[in-house]
Amino acid sequence: MSDRTDDREFYVGYRGRAPRGIAAFVRGRVVGLLIFAAVLGVGLASLQRPADLGVFEFGEPRELTGIVRERPWPRLELEQPAGDGTARSRYPLVSQGKHGAQQLVAGLDGARVRLRGTLVWNDLATLVEVVPGTLERLEESTLPVVEMEGLGEVTLRGEIVDSKCFLGVMKPGRTKPHRACAANCLRGGIPPMLLVETTSGQRQLWLLVDEDGGPVGEKVIELAARPVEVTGRARREGDLLILAADPTRYRPLG
Amino acid sequence: MAVSYKAVGWNRQKRIYDGVVLAGVLSYLGLFVGSGIVLDAQATLETLLIRGLGTCAFLLLTIILSIGPLARLDDRFLPLLYNRRHLGVTMSVVALAHGVLSLVQFHAFGDLNPLVSVLVSPGRWEGVAGFPFQPLGLAALVILLLMAATSHDFWLANLTAPTWKRLHMLVYVAWALLVLHVALGALYGERHPALVAVLAVAVAWVLLVHGAGALRERRLDPDSVPGARDFVRVCPVDAIPENRARIVSLSGERVALFRYDGKVSAISNVCQHQNGPLGEGCVLDGLVTCPWHGYQYRPHDGTSPPPYAEKVPTFRVRIVDGVVEVHPRPLPAGTPVEPARIPGHPPTEATP
Repeated sequence: MSDRTDDREFYVGYRGRAPRGIAAFVRGRVVGLLIFAAVLGVGLASLQRPADLGVFEFGEPRELTGIVRERPWPRLELEQPAGDGTARSRYPLVSQGKHGAQQLVAGLDGARVRLRGTLVWNDLATLVEVVPGTLERLEESTLPVVEMEGLGEVTLRGEIVDSKCFLGVMKPGRTKPHRACAANCLRGGIPPMLLVETTSGQRQLWLLVDEDGGPVGEKVIELAARPVEVTGRARREGDLLILAADPTRYRPLG
Repeated sequence: MAVSYKAVGWNRQKRIYDGVVLAGVLSYLGLFVGSGIVLDAQATLETLLIRGLGTCAFLLLTIILSIGPLARLDDRFLPLLYNRRHLGVTMSVVALAHGVLSLVQFHAFGDLNPLVSVLVSPGRWEGVAGFPFQPLGLAALVILLLMAATSHDFWLANLTAPTWKRLHMLVYVAWALLVLHVALGALYGERHPALVAVLAVAVAWVLLVHGAGALRERRLDPDSVPGARDFVRVCPVDAIPENRARIVSLSGERVALFRYDGKVSAISNVCQHQNGPLGEGCVLDGLVTCPWHGYQYRPHDGTSPPPYAEKVPTFRVRIVDGVVEVHPRPLPAGTPVEPARIPGHPPTEATP
C-alpha cells in the first residue's frame, strides 16, 4: 500500500504567519487590487459630467434693499443703480432648506424691505436665500409699476427644475439623480422653472406660473426633473422670463 | 474558535487584513474626491463624497462576492475569506455613509420626513426611465446593515448556522438591488459610455466568477452513493493523502474521510461554524482544521477540543482489503467512533 502525501500549504488565520507561498500569492493579488482600485477611483472621477456652472455664496450673506412682490412667487425687485426707475433686477426669494419664502413675505407685497440674503446664481439668473429674522419692512414702494411685455403664445421643451438647486446650491441640480430633491423643493415652495436648451447650445430659464399668473403649486412635483413640453403665454418682466400655462396640460416627453 | 463572545478576536492576520482594507478605502476616497476637485473646479465636496462612497461600497461588495468563488477556484485565496466579515462590515459602513449623506442632501430640510421622502420619490414604477431608484438603494442598505449587525459569532450561534447562512445569502438580493440602483439612477445623469461599461463589466465579472466556481464545484463533487443502508465501499485507502481528506456523498450527506497517523476517521463535511467544507481542510496537531476559519475537531469523535464545544456528526468506518468503507447513517454529533487502522501503519501516538 503506497503512502500518498499532499504538500500543499494550508492557511490558518489565527496562526502567527501565513505560509510563505500563500502569503506571496495573496500579497501579489492584493497589491494588484489596490492599484486597480486607485486607477478606478481616478477614472470614475474623471468620467463624471462636468458640474453645472453656479455659485452658492454660502456663509457670505449680503444686505439687500428692494421691493417685495408676493405673487406668483416671492421675489425682490431692486432698482438698477444707473437706471431711470424702471430698470430693475428681480431676484426670486426662498427660505433656508427646501422651503419657499411665502411665509416670510406674507402681507409685504409692494413694501420696501431690507434683508440679509445669500445669493445663488449662474449665468441665467440670480436667487436670494433670506437669512431668517433679517427681513425688515421700511416703507411702501415708491417705484412705479413696470408693465409686462407680452411675447405671445409659445411651445417650449425643457426640464422642470427647482430654481434654488439648479442655480447653484446643488451640482447636479437637475436630471434624474436630483429628482427627489427637486420634488421636495417644489413641495416646499421653491419656484419651479423650465430649463430650455436649444440645439445651438443656448439656454433659457422660464419661471412657471399657471394660466392666471398664479403659482403652479404642487401640480408640477410629479414632473420634476423630467423633460416636458409646455404651451403657454410667454411674457417678459424686466429680466425675468415667465411662462403661463395650465400645469395639468404640461406634456411629459420621457 | 469561540468559547466566549468577544467583540473581535484580534490576531495578527486580522490586523493586517483590516489595515489593508482601511488603507484601501481611505486611498480610494481620497483619490476619487481629490481628482474630482482637481479636474472640475465647479464640483462640490458633498456630491463627490456621495459618489466616492457609493462607488467604493459597490467595489467592496463586488470584491466580497468574488472571494468565495475565487477560493473555490484556487484555495490560495482562502486568506481573503478568513476575515471577510470585517470587509463586509466595512462595506456596510461605507454604504451607510453614502446613504446618510444622500438622505441629508436630497431628502432632509424639506416638508417630509427624509425616510418618507425616499419612499415617495416621484417616478413611474412601470417604466425604466422614470423608475425611482432611491428606494432600491434604501432596501439594499437595510439588508447590508442587517447582515453587518448579525455578522458576529453570537448571532451565528443563536440563529444556528443554516439560518444564519440563509440570512446572509440575502447579499445577492442586495447586490441585484444595487445594480438597479446604479443603472436606473446615477447612470441616467452620467451617461458616459465608459461608466455604463464599468457597471456591465462588474456585473459580468460577478456572474462569470460564480459560474466558474460552480463548474469547479460540480467537477469536484464527491462520489455519490444514494440510498445506501449498509457499509459502502468508497475508495482505496491510499487514495487519501496523509493528513488530508476525501469527500464522499452518502445518502445525500457529505462525509469527510480523514487519514492521519495510520488511521482513517469519518466525520460530517459541514463545519458547525459557517458550514465550511471540513473535507477541504487538513489535520493539524492531530485535529481536523476547517479551511475557512480554522475551527478544529478531533477526527475520532467530531468534537472541538476543550474549552470549545462545537460538535459534528461522525460515521462508522472500516478498511476491508485496502478499501475504505463507511456506514451511511450519521451518528449523533460528537459520538466517538473507533478509527479504522491502516494495515502496516502502526499508530504514532496514543490517541484512539
